[in-house]
Amino acid sequence: MNNKQNPALNQKVSGPYTQKSVVGRSVPRIDAPDKARGAAQYTADMKLPGMLYGKLLRSPVPHARIKNIDISKAAAFPGVKDVITGKDTPGIKYGNWRLFPQTQDEYPLAMDKVRFIGDEVAAVAAIDPDIAEEAISLIHVEYDELPAVFSIDEALAQDAPLIHDDIDQLEGNISIDRNIDVGDIDKAFDKADLILDDKFTLHAVSHAYLEPCAALAQPDVEGRLILWTSTQAPYIIQCLLASTLGLPENHVRVIKPHVGGGFGGKMELRSWEFCAAFMAKRTGRPVKFVLTRAEELSTGRTRHAMNIRSKVGFKKDGTIVAKDFEAYLDGGAYNSMGPTATFLCGNFGAMLYRYPAYRYRGYHVYTNKTPAGAMRGFGAPQALYVTETQMNIAAKELNIDPIDLRIKNAMVTGDTIEGVTKISSAGFVESLQKVAEMSKWKEKRASLPNNKGIGIGCYSFISGGVFNWFNTPYNFAACEVRAYDDGTAHLLTMASDIGQGSDTVLRQILAEALGIKVENIRVTSADTAMTPKADLGTWGSRVTLMNGNAILDAANKIKEKLAQMVSIKYNLNIIHEVAFANDRAFAKAKPERGISFGEAVAMWVKTHRGEELTARGYYTPRDKGLTTPAYSFGAQVAEVAVDPDTGVVTVEKVTTAHDCGTVINPMSVEGQLEGALHMGLGYALSEQFVIRDGKVLNTTFLDYKIPAAEDMPQIESYTIETYEKEGPFGAKEAGEGLAIPTAPAIAHAVYDATGYRCKDLPITPEKILRATGKITE
Amino acid sequence: MALPKFSYLIPKSLKEACIMLAEHEDKARILAGGTDLLIKMKHRTVQPEYIIGISNIPNTDYVHSNHKHLTIGANASLTMVAQNPDIQRYFPALAYAAGVTATVQIRNMGTVVGNICNASPSADTATPLLVYDTKVVIMHPAGERTLALDEFFRGPGVTALESGEIVKELVLPLTSDRSGSNYQKVSPRSKVDIAAVGVSACLHVDEKETITQARLAIGAVAPVPKRVLHAEKTLEGKKLTEELINQAAEISLDEATPISDTRATASYRKKMVDVLVRRALNASMEQIRAK
Ligand SMILES: Cc1cc2nc3c(=O)[nH]c(=O)nc-3n(C[C@H](O)[C@H](O)[C@H](O)COP(=O)(O)OP(=O)(O)OC[C@H]3O[C@@H](n4cnc5c(N)ncnc54)[C@H](O)[C@@H]3O)c2cc1C
Repeated sequence: MNNKQNPALNQKVSGPYTQKSVVGRSVPRIDAPDKARGAAQYTADMKLPGMLYGKLLRSPVPHARIKNIDISKAAAFPGVKDVITGKDTPGIKYGNWRLFPQTQDEYPLAMDKVRFIGDEVAAVAAIDPDIAEEAISLIHVEYDELPAVFSIDEALAQDAPLIHDDIDQLEGNISIDRNIDVGDIDKAFDKADLILDDKFTLHAVSHAYLEPCAALAQPDVEGRLILWTSTQAPYIIQCLLASTLGLPENHVRVIKPHVGGGFGGKMELRSWEFCAAFMAKRTGRPVKFVLTRAEELSTGRTRHAMNIRSKVGFKKDGTIVAKDFEAYLDGGAYNSMGPTATFLCGNFGAMLYRYPAYRYRGYHVYTNKTPAGAMRGFGAPQALYVTETQMNIAAKELNIDPIDLRIKNAMVTGDTIEGVTKISSAGFVESLQKVAEMSKWKEKRASLPNNKGIGIGCYSFISGGVFNWFNTPYNFAACEVRAYDDGTAHLLTMASDIGQGSDTVLRQILAEALGIKVENIRVTSADTAMTPKADLGTWGSRVTLMNGNAILDAANKIKEKLAQMVSIKYNLNIIHEVAFANDRAFAKAKPERGISFGEAVAMWVKTHRGEELTARGYYTPRDKGLTTPAYSFGAQVAEVAVDPDTGVVTVEKVTTAHDCGTVINPMSVEGQLEGALHMGLGYALSEQFVIRDGKVLNTTFLDYKIPAAEDMPQIESYTIETYEKEGPFGAKEAGEGLAIPTAPAIAHAVYDATGYRCKDLPITPEKILRATGKITE
Repeated sequence: MALPKFSYLIPKSLKEACIMLAEHEDKARILAGGTDLLIKMKHRTVQPEYIIGISNIPNTDYVHSNHKHLTIGANASLTMVAQNPDIQRYFPALAYAAGVTATVQIRNMGTVVGNICNASPSADTATPLLVYDTKVVIMHPAGERTLALDEFFRGPGVTALESGEIVKELVLPLTSDRSGSNYQKVSPRSKVDIAAVGVSACLHVDEKETITQARLAIGAVAPVPKRVLHAEKTLEGKKLTEELINQAAEISLDEATPISDTRATASYRKKMVDVLVRRALNASMEQIRAK
């Protein structure tokens, strides 16, 4: 992307905190040099003396009782050191919703039943990966096959087989439901001049993170464990691994090495993490698992496929009066993160616009497919695809420009959703205005030739969830800051950098707060035995806001102590404020009265007879409604060309204006934007699973089509600067939200070009040709 | 995914490779760039006990031409073929097809001969080679034989090669100044994608633009990439009118027997045969006119 196109890349951001030196600058990533020269260690790169290689046996059938497992041949195979099945394990279920134990529906290895093709049945640890793979093929399992269901409709049918017949609370295949009720929905629709009532189907897609999952466990003689794993949530893995092993939580130490992306797919305990740890304990040797891409694509978590029915009422002038929103989530065989997605989908259905009345009914449905989980946007891509497409339909019906219709209904700072949430800052209207101007929206809509189209999609996203269904007794984010007499500091945080750049951004926040250089801060992150408790992980776009706030808390404590030193040294009047900048601590009004940061620390250490200067900082969102402390907003315009004969869509240009509060690191935000756009492009146009009888057929990147670099359009973007009082230095999320608007914007542009309105993602060439009458058979 | 175990044989000449192949019969496979074979081995769809690596045999990665023919050696990579000036001049559809096959890395490793021997119905270089009347020079322990490419493909993954036979080179008669040719491909992703349908055409005309020789081939819509002989006959001796194009497209549709798979449905493929045949014929004629 051209820097000229994005002023944020060149400008320093200003806000109520003036004179910032580091925040707002494109500080290069801490991890970039190592990654560029191949020195960064990912879990798969790690080797320990005596290490064994693990491999999982997965179910070849979608639904069955396990009659018998014969491991004798595999166990006797030379080089095999351990073979386990569910019966060897403690048989303890787990799941991320600890607050509601009946939702914890997964065993590390199948106990008596398998529920999807790929369900983990047994594991082998051997002296090399080939032997492990060979041994897996020697395990003989007898299955009693059961009828299986592969769609929401099949799963909800009267005579559908029960997928979780061992959970007493369940009567059918609906594992959980969520409701939201605001205002009197039925009365509200009476005021409508136009009512849209549409059904949408949204499809499942893969996170397609470049690093497949991997885990390496090492035991110690006292029975404790270290687990290196490619995860977004070390603390969650620590807790759930300990509970499934029957160990005290703190006998498990989870370390996150470099991680090659997660996008929501690496935030739960998974079978191989358990098996690595369990077999390491049994054999006394390190055990490593590395998944293949085929395993990832055929059995990995996905974004939820959903069936959504949405009814929205408008007045003639475009004012929205009510929305009735019903979503069925295809959860696959286990809850995974589905309950949260069910909740969030309903919340996002109520976002972006003012709905005087809103009703949500959300149902999470078990099917005999690979489980869906959290994925970038977490319920929002689906909910807002529907919302945005209906806004575009309404604009057409009401003969109002789609951007004008949005501005008329847009949420603004201070808006509330009664009993649910408050919008503490919103640059949504400004985003809409800016994107219209940048994309030359009105001119282009009037003048584009045949087969070219322009369309819009918008988003809002949370800056971390305020809910605690994991039921952690600890703070949501924590850190420790150590200040040294050489003028440096050490930040210890459990926040997980999975490639999104939190190590870099959090270091910037601390550098800004302490007034020292970024290079003078060392970062240690994501090691549950070393970094302060706790942290719920990298998901829900929570890290910058929550960990940033925890860091400010710690930095303020450090600064208070150092202010005392400056105050004593210069005998400052009590009314003087002490400032921290340029590696100095000084009287704000009389900058010459000050000392270097290192000297100030030295003085504190001396006056405390050798005590190290450290402070802990914490953040937990309290009384921030039911959803999040802060929302991002944005608007995106896509321009497409459609080949009328082949139906092939080329996305030519995408323009974005978005509000992520204060931009801490413009280059990082840009990276998020471009990456999100790439994902949105795939979601809209090319990515989908081809599934037959529960079996995924496209298990390589040749046939699971993430867009290629050459599919990327020209990109222009602009950041609207708002100041979010809940966030560090005014910042809020810029991670997941941007993955939302691309699909509805492209769909709208395709409609503009062809007249085909997609209510059934993805938009394929064939669907376009059918809609335009070019294919009839 | 790990490769199954195998023995790796290094012949010093193509002849020696033939002898090794004859000796081990079904248990051995030739390895050129390996971009098809190694993947099939990882997926266990083929499990040869012997791999005969031919990529280091000297003087096999050539593209050369005389005033009549152009010859592509067994180890000429897709990149070489895409970038060769003679191929760009005389066989533009082949140069283009080789250049849009797979990715840069795969094109640097993969060979055109491998693309043909792999015999995938969707092989990108197959239909261009068909419309250029390519001859396959086949080597066996006792000598050589030559086969027209349209007799070479026998089914998905199946060729006319018999035990102990390898492809030495491909021979293409040079096209005339009054000819034009074109390759059309449609796939769900713009780049790095297997063709859902591929169509090639090559037209030779006289001074009055009457078609003296027509070649038309379709890929990924039948068990093998194939020429549409009946359409070729219909085109010959006439001028390329809208109506003639309609006829050629209709005949091609009749000859196409596509299946639905992970890449496209049969109905979409049928429609694309229609669209791409028209485009390939029109583009070929435009190329002649631009000369
Ligand atoms: C990511 C990816 C993308 C791809 N995209 C495309 C694409 O877009 N279009 C496309 O057409 N293909 C594509 N392919 C397939 C492949 O790259 C091509 O078919 C390539 O041309 C094969 O050449 P090779 O030299 O690598 O063949 P190899 O794998 O070495 O051999 C292929 C087969 O031919 C046999 N063989 C090779 N040389 C000889 C010989 N001289 N005599 C007899 N038998 C021989 C081998 O035994 C083997 O059975 C793709 C592959 C990958 C991995």
